[in-house]
Order: sequence, then C-alpha cells, then structure tokens
Amino acid sequence: MDKNERTRRKGVSYAKWGYIFILPFFIAYFIFTLTPQIMTIYNSFFENYRDGLTQVGPNFVGLENYVKLFTPDKSGTIGMVKYFGNTLVLWIMGAVPQIVVALLLAVFFTSYRLNIKGQQFFKTVIYMPNLIMAAAFSMLFFTLFSPVGPVNQVLVAHGVLEKSIDFLSLKVPVRVLISLMNFLMWFGNTTILLMAGIQGIDQNLFEAAEIDGANSLQVFFRVTLPLLAPILVYTVITAMIGGLQMFDVPQVLTNGKGTPDRANMTMVMYLNNYLQTSKNYGMAGAVSVVLFAVSSALSLFVYNSLSSQYREAPKKRNRI
Amino acid sequence: MKKLIAMLLALVMVFALCACGATPSAEAPAAEGKVFNIYAWNEEFKGFFEKYYTVPEGVTVNWIITPSDNGAYQQKLDEALLNQANAADDEKVDLFLAEADYILKYVNTDATQDITKLGVTDFSNTYKYTVQAATDPAGVVKGVSFQCCPSALIYRRSIAQDVLGVSEPDEVQAKLDSWDKFNAVAADAKAKGYYMTASFAETYRVFSNNCSSPWVDENNNLQFDPQIEAWIAQTEEFVKNGYTLTAGVWDQEKNDQMFANGKTMCFFGPAWYFNFCMGNAQDPENGCSGDWAICEGPAAHFWGGTWLLAPAGTDNPTMVADIMNTFINDEEVCSALVANEAQFSNNMAVNAKFAEDPDYGSAFLGGQNDVAVFSAMTDNIVWENHTIYDQLLNEGLQNNLREYFQGTVDKETALANFYAYVNETYPTIVTP
Repeated sequence: MDKNERTRRKGVSYAKWGYIFILPFFIAYFIFTLTPQIMTIYNSFFENYRDGLTQVGPNFVGLENYVKLFTPDKSGTIGMVKYFGNTLVLWIMGAVPQIVVALLLAVFFTSYRLNIKGQQFFKTVIYMPNLIMAAAFSMLFFTLFSPVGPVNQVLVAHGVLEKSIDFLSLKVPVRVLISLMNFLMWFGNTTILLMAGIQGIDQNLFEAAEIDGANSLQVFFRVTLPLLAPILVYTVITAMIGGLQMFDVPQVLTNGKGTPDRANMTMVMYLNNYLQTSKNYGMAGAVSVVLFAVSSALSLFVYNSLSSQYREAPKKRNRI
Repeated sequence: MKKLIAMLLALVMVFALCACGATPSAEAPAAEGKVFNIYAWNEEFKGFFEKYYTVPEGVTVNWIITPSDNGAYQQKLDEALLNQANAADDEKVDLFLAEADYILKYVNTDATQDITKLGVTDFSNTYKYTVQAATDPAGVVKGVSFQCCPSALIYRRSIAQDVLGVSEPDEVQAKLDSWDKFNAVAADAKAKGYYMTASFAETYRVFSNNCSSPWVDENNNLQFDPQIEAWIAQTEEFVKNGYTLTAGVWDQEKNDQMFANGKTMCFFGPAWYFNFCMGNAQDPENGCSGDWAICEGPAAHFWGGTWLLAPAGTDNPTMVADIMNTFINDEEVCSALVANEAQFSNNMAVNAKFAEDPDYGSAFLGGQNDVAVFSAMTDNIVWENHTIYDQLLNEGLQNNLREYFQGTVDKETALANFYAYVNETYPTIVTP
C-alpha cells in the first residue's frame, strides 16, 4: 500500500452514507409526525368547526379555545382536568399490575435455577391477547358483562346474584374491566421486553452474587433491578405514553360515552368528541396540545426520577 | 429483440386500455351515469328497492350503509355531500336516505335539490307531513318518504287481558287514551307482575313529538319543552316504582321482553317498528306472533320514517325521480309494500283500499287491520318544531338521563353531563 493511497483513503468520508441511510426516517418523521404536530398547534388558535353542513371559520381567536377548555362548568368541574384524572387512574390501575407481573414473569423465565420448561409455549400464550384487536377484545367484554350476558346469567343461575346487574353502568366495575383488558393485552409484551433486558445482564454477576451468599430477593433488588433500569424506564415511559393516549378499549366498552358519569372518558375520547360531529379542529387541537404538553412533562419526570435513582445507586454503595 | 417487441406490445395495450377508459365519460355528458350510489343507515329500504324497483339496464347500484348510532351515518354522508362537487361521476351520491330527526340538516341546504324539477310532481296521495318534512323554508320540495310513520301503542293481548280485563284494541284504547290512565294502569300491571314498558325511553317519542317548542330557540339557546319535562317526570316515577325496565330503546334486554315469556305489556312504534325491529316477537319458537295488537295510545305521534332525498349534483337525475315516483305513486308497488311487507305506505289511495278491505289483516296483530288504525291516526300528525340537531340531542338526553334513572348520578350531574355533551357536539348551541 503506497503512501498516496493511504492519504486518499483518509480523505473519504463515510459519514455521508450514514446521513443518507437515516434520511428516510427523517423525511417520514417530518411529513407524518412533525408537520401534523405543528398544524395541530396552529389549528388550536382558530375557531374552526361545522354547524350542520355549514363550515364556520377558520377564524383566528387566540387562546380562546384554551380558555374554554379550562373554564369550569356550573357544577365547578373542569372537563379537561376530570378526563385527565380518569385517564391517569385507568392507566395506573392497569400499568402497575402490568409491570409488576411482567417483571416477576421475566425473572422466573430467565432464572437458570428455576429453569422453567415450555417457555416458548408460555411466552406465546401470554403474548396472545395482544394479537387481538383492542376493539374486538373490548366488544367481547361488553357482551360478556352486558345485563343479559353470560356473566350475569352464570351468576344468577348459581344464586350469587338475585337479579342481573348492569355492570357497565357502575363506575368501579367499568374501570376494573378497562384496566383488566389493558393489563391482559400488554403484560405479555412487557414481559418479553424485560426478559430481553435481563438476558442482556452478564450471568457472571448473578453467579458472583450467589457465591457471596445473596438470596434471590437480594439478587433481584441489588443486581437485576439496577442493571435493568434503562429497559425498565423505557417500558414505563412507553406504557405511560400509551396509557395517556388510551382510547380504543374504553371507547368501545362504553360506546364512546365514557359511562357512567363520564368517569371513564379518557383525554383522547374527549378529543374525539370534538371531532365527531362538529369537526371542531380548534377545540380538538387545544386538547391535543395540552395532552402533548402533559405527556412530555410526565415522561421527563419519570425518566429523571427513575433513571437518576439507579444511576446514583452504585456510587452510594461504593461509599459504604 | 424479442423482449423489446414484447415490451412495445405491452405498452400499446396499456395505452389502448387507458384510451378506452377515457372515452365514455368524455363524450357523453347527456347520458346518465352507470353507477348509482345510495347512502343509507340500514338494510330496510335496500330490501324493498331490490324487490320492487327495476334498475335500468347497465346501471350498477352501490349501497353505502353506515349505522346511524352516535351520528356515524351523518358523518359519512356529510363527507360525501361536501365532496360532491369534486367527486368523479361514479363516486357521486345519487340518492340518500334521511330520518325525521336530521332531515332538516339536508333539506335546508344546497346539498339537496328540487325534486319537482326532476319530475316528481304528484303529491296528491302522499301524507302532508311527509312532504312538509322534506320542504325547505322557501317551499322547495327536496325529497319524499316511502312510508308514513304514525306510531302506535303496540300491546300484548294476553297481558292486557290479564291486567285490564279486555284485549280488543277499541276497549284497550279506551283504558289507555290519556297519560293519567296510562300511569294508573302501569301500577295495576306492576301489581300483577308485569312491566308497563321495557325501556326507560319507551314513551320518549310520544312526548317529544308533541313539543310546542324546538330544541333550540332563535338565539340558539338550548331549551326544554314542557313535554320533555313531562317525560322526565313520568320516567322518574316509572323507574322508581319498577313499572319499567331501564334498558335503552334498542337494547337486547328490551328486545328479550318481546319473546313469549316476556313480561312487558306496551311498546310504542310505527309499522316499521313491529315489522323490522320486533323479530323476537315473530320468532317461530320463542315468539308470540298473533298475541299483539295496536291502538293509538295516550297521544298521537310519529316516529322516524325514511325519506329519500335528491342530492345536488347527481349524475342520474332521471333515475332518482323514477325511484321516488315508484315508491310514492306506483299503485302496484305501494300495494305490495302494504300486502307483502306490512308497511304503511305513503299513498293514501292504496292505504284506503287496504283499510276498507275486510279480508286484510295482519297475522302478527292477530288479524287486526293495522292500515285502518294508522290511517285514522294520520290526521293528528303534525310536523313542527324540528331542528337540524334533533337526533343527537334526543340521543344525548336519553343516554345521560339514563344514568340518573338508574341511580348512578343525581339529576343535576346528569344534566351537566348532557350539557357537556351538547357543547362538544354542537359548538353553536348555548347551554344553560
């Protein structure tokens, strides 16, 4: 290899290929994500809806849509706040068991001491509910728990209930059903993610911990959890963003009404209400912007609190 | 070389095809379209259309059917109508169906056109309110209804016999011809272990059709007519005393009451209701066909009805007019609707013929001549106080108050939820 060639090779920049390969993503992102996002923010400052077949607007109204969104009604309820609360409650009711169970299963499945047989089978089974369309799944529960549905029939036939109950008109049962469905649909997915995370941890560490005399609880809290933190944070944040955008399950289960007493109306369902009949892009835009701000803030908060805790953990131990 | 020739041939073929595709629409603006698109929210009219209307040769009829729940049908239709000017000829809406609850939304706009100009001019046999409903404020008629929908009290003969001691329509009517009597009988029914009605909203139409003011006033303020208040008061009583089930009007729980083992005495509905929606009662095994009869009930009213409206910009105007004329003025078709489909047609002459025919009777109603009952009721139907918002306001009020009736929320909360719903659905309406 002569000197000349070496210098020439030095001058070749491979970086441009990197840019070219990631370009399609950025083009797609720009067209399908960024532009609509900016348009949504833009729309939220306009009065823009349909009255019957007549289009009203778009007229610039400044922050009026936001003011309307946060104006309490006669009974003092601010719709936006109430629906945000609903969404949060529904998400927590589903996500906490989802992550706990998934973590437990992931640890079981990856434990070389338990060495569970038929793992592939179990993984497939727990992932299965996610393959069903959320709407179909929700419709199934709607039918199961309707006043003339099989659940009522069985309970009445066995004397548990005196007469059938309209479960879907009661606040707590509906919330439990929604959370249960979200849990069933997503815990398999989370399990598989966390398993991948645990398998990525160096096995020597587990063995070393055991030789040092750590019991399985100690191994879990002192080895597995800290090293799993990045994946866990990722799981929690994606679950949270998904949860804040919860729509299909409660929409179908409550027929779009968030019954009873709008206690199961999520933020996206609320947004959808504005778009359905009146095509109210102004108000829907305002709801979206608030939703976007809230999700960003919460994601940042979760990211910082969860990851910093584990980032600092080893240092503390060193000090001891 | 061979490849090149093959390629050239292929290209020639493609161009030839393109050319073919382009010719007809370019050359023949006078001829009518070959595709006829009908928008509807269920299969009812489709069935009659396919049986009784002969589609001109070469025309394909497309049905675009979207359920009307939550306004889904209106949304679909609105998109299509607003896009009508830009749509390709074969994509244009050529005919669409609308219900009484939202017909004004389309009649009062340019999205529909004058059918008298298309050739539908003879309204001498149609019922007056059906024409009024399809007439815009300037007096232009935009559509016709193929049915007339006076709504009757549909009752179970056997239960009436048990509760009232009579089962013939005239005698039953005498005992149920006012709300006071109706409410009193509800208590008797309860005492005998029956329900008066199976849905909390069963009597809604009977009240709402007799409103003396529309849903919104001239300043777009939402208002409750005394009739609506009366419905709320009655339903409170009925639910509290167990005179009614709290199912929705279309719920399975209510429909199950139509089986022979059902415990409900009264339903309300027009001809289409007992023909199209009381399948359980007509079930050969578990039903009770023949154990039913109709009478006018506590107040005259109508419910629903399907209007055929002519959209502006259709490329099949002759066929639109032809369909409309067939279903209102063709004696043979109207007679078939009554005789075979148990409809109450929108042709007075035909209905009169059946009303006077001593041999005519509905097997479902135990041989009763339903056409005669409905004919007598048509004089009392009025078309007034309607708005373009009716469907979703009626639906929304019922859905939100249902939670109150079921005891989930108090009345104030239920109304607040209804107002929230109205604000989301119709930004122009001012709620209290």
